Amino acid sequence: MLNSTARPGNGMTPARPRSRVRLPGSAAFWFLIPAIFTLAAIGIYPLLLALYNSFHQYKLADLASGTPFIWFDNYIATLSDPSFWGALGRTALFLCVTLPIEVALGLFAALMLHRTTLPWMRAIARVSLVIPMATTYAVVGLIGRLIFNRQFGVANYIGGLVGMPPQDWLADPTLAFVSVMIMDIWQWTPFCALILLAGLTMVPKEAEEAARLETPRWSKILWHLQRPYLLPGLTAILILRSADMLKMFDAVFTMTRGGPGTATEFISVYIQRVGFRLFDQGMASAQAILLLILTIVLSRLYIRFVYREAA
Amino acid sequence: MKKRFLQPAAIALSLATVSLLSAANAGAWTLKEAAQPYSGTTIKAIFLDRPGYKAAQKLIPQFEKETGINVKWEVIPYENTREKEVLNFVGGGDQDVVLVDVVWIGEFASNKWLVPIKTFTDNPKLADPKLNLPGFFPILLDSFGSWDKVTYGLPFDNYSGLMFYNKCMLKDAGFNEPPKTWDELLNTYAPKLTQASKNQFAFALQSRRGETQSADSFMRVLWPNGGSLLDAKFKSNLMSPQSQAGLEYRQKLMKYMPPGIVDFDHAEAVNALAQGQVAMITEWSAFYPTLTDPAKSKIGNCLAITTEPKGPAGLKPALGGFSLAVNAKSNAKKQAAAWLFIQWITSEEMAKPYLEAGGVPARTAVYQDKAVQDKYPFVKPMVESWQGGVPDYRPRFPEWPAVSEVIGEWGTKIMLGQVSVKDGAQTIGSKTEEILNKAGYYSGKKPLLK
Repeated sequence: MLNSTARPGNGMTPARPRSRVRLPGSAAFWFLIPAIFTLAAIGIYPLLLALYNSFHQYKLADLASGTPFIWFDNYIATLSDPSFWGALGRTALFLCVTLPIEVALGLFAALMLHRTTLPWMRAIARVSLVIPMATTYAVVGLIGRLIFNRQFGVANYIGGLVGMPPQDWLADPTLAFVSVMIMDIWQWTPFCALILLAGLTMVPKEAEEAARLETPRWSKILWHLQRPYLLPGLTAILILRSADMLKMFDAVFTMTRGGPGTATEFISVYIQRVGFRLFDQGMASAQAILLLILTIVLSRLYIRFVYREAA
Repeated sequence: MKKRFLQPAAIALSLATVSLLSAANAGAWTLKEAAQPYSGTTIKAIFLDRPGYKAAQKLIPQFEKETGINVKWEVIPYENTREKEVLNFVGGGDQDVVLVDVVWIGEFASNKWLVPIKTFTDNPKLADPKLNLPGFFPILLDSFGSWDKVTYGLPFDNYSGLMFYNKCMLKDAGFNEPPKTWDELLNTYAPKLTQASKNQFAFALQSRRGETQSADSFMRVLWPNGGSLLDAKFKSNLMSPQSQAGLEYRQKLMKYMPPGIVDFDHAEAVNALAQGQVAMITEWSAFYPTLTDPAKSKIGNCLAITTEPKGPAGLKPALGGFSLAVNAKSNAKKQAAAWLFIQWITSEEMAKPYLEAGGVPARTAVYQDKAVQDKYPFVKPMVESWQGGVPDYRPRFPEWPAVSEVIGEWGTKIMLGQVSVKDGAQTIGSKTEEILNKAGYYSGKKPLLK
């Protein structure tokens, strides 16, 4: 259905695509050069440098001992380091619990906004949904520190209203993990909502009205009519949010600094520790490359199992 | 003959003139003249958001006016300072005045990132004749500014661990004076000063993961009990009965601290005392201005200060602070300008204005002034602490940041009860030895310097 909307209709001769407009070869080349150069400078070069570093001993605070080529030593050391696996496990747990909640809440919000009969309310809601996303990660962490402060935090205040005793949100390992989750959900559920809302607005109105006459059950409409329009957006959410969660650093660092103990030491916090506290750039690069591979594998899996259904 | 006589006479006369002139010059050394070749130069520094730096910021315009040298500073959080500075050294940044924490001096000096001060003190054009290095507290100059018998930095932001307490709360609980020993604090004072139902606690020990856990919490309980992180051969000393006693002590004292103490940083601990939640804290002397600021603190006249309590090993207070040094990667002009600034801000002449602006100078002379002693109640216990402190309270070797990370992680786990004191100490010990072994301390590749 999606594809059919993109096709030129009724056998009419399609307009000549713009790309066929003849440009002198050199002009096309010069138009592309800035993009290629920028991509190479900010994407490809650092990646290649990280790859190079990952095969070398490269300790910034001990450059006197040289930067010899050490084959896969950094990778072996990383893969045999229980702290790395611990951090990866925590990140996976965070991803598996937080992402479904964000998608579910985002879908709920999108459906509510899609159905609202008051257009001005929808406009206000859309703007207010952008605010959490526009907040700097580090600031989100600082807000989190205030919200979950044991003494004067809003979380304990609200809990107190319903008779809950004050909790040590940021000092208890489980609650600290939950606090970081809550802040991430607060910040990124609106993103899911907006993407899914965009999918919902793609559904032809006639089809939706017809479906509503057909069945009063919203779940049926969601599954049979709206789902195909939501899947491309959902795939984008899964890919972007997974990559974001794997490299989540600023908010956690300002909120808990990875603590208490290692309760919120996610993989990026761990890599930062290795790279910029211990200044072992070789090891940190190996860990970052492994993380990149993991992100690519996850993205391929999402495209294969989620996006394919939309095709 | 006449000529023969005149020649030596002329030489003698000219020598006498030169020496007279240079004597006059030495006496007349002024900052303004010394800085004249560098007027218009801009030097850059990294500052922290702490009282000592705010004090310097107030005084810098005076330096700029006198010298024509512009001082620019960037305020960044402590936790990012070392990262920023190391990247600056390696990447060729533009920082000229280097802020050196006591535990970074080994790393910065052994990487040759700092200029030894001898370069400047040997240059009569740059060396203030009144520099008077012996006028610094020896422990501060040695710990914060020197490595392997070479001095690189002059002590600038100087701390000693002190006990700040709420004398009104102590009086209400029946105590007319603060505890003299850690044992007394735990067994006599703490039970009477803790009323958990009223959210009131006897003590707060800032223990957040990071340098706060390793320096302020973990090391603080080792030394007074006669323990230490390492023995003389750089092997772990954490399993010694004294170190174990210290770590066990901390677990017992936690009962009398506010819940969530493992998430308390300096700000939270100071605030807990300022707002009347706890009766006692052991904190850096530099927090005195915060606690006496009515906008930030409710404690008012109830605030009192003394030395940290003594342990079985005597008075072993926390020692910390920063020196200022010159970046070896800066150009000669900026190095000279940076030196003039460092020499000026840490000088005996500026010690009193710096103190009055909220800083804590390292000069002995200023604290001998009776008026200063009366005006700043932290002076007496601080001076006493600096006279009896442990210079290597935290090892200052380049591997400390890695060791500190290990302590930060496992020290917090011990406090949370996720591992026992013994298992945690064992792990910290073995991981520390692993780091030191890799660095080459056990093979003799590196001298046992800390």
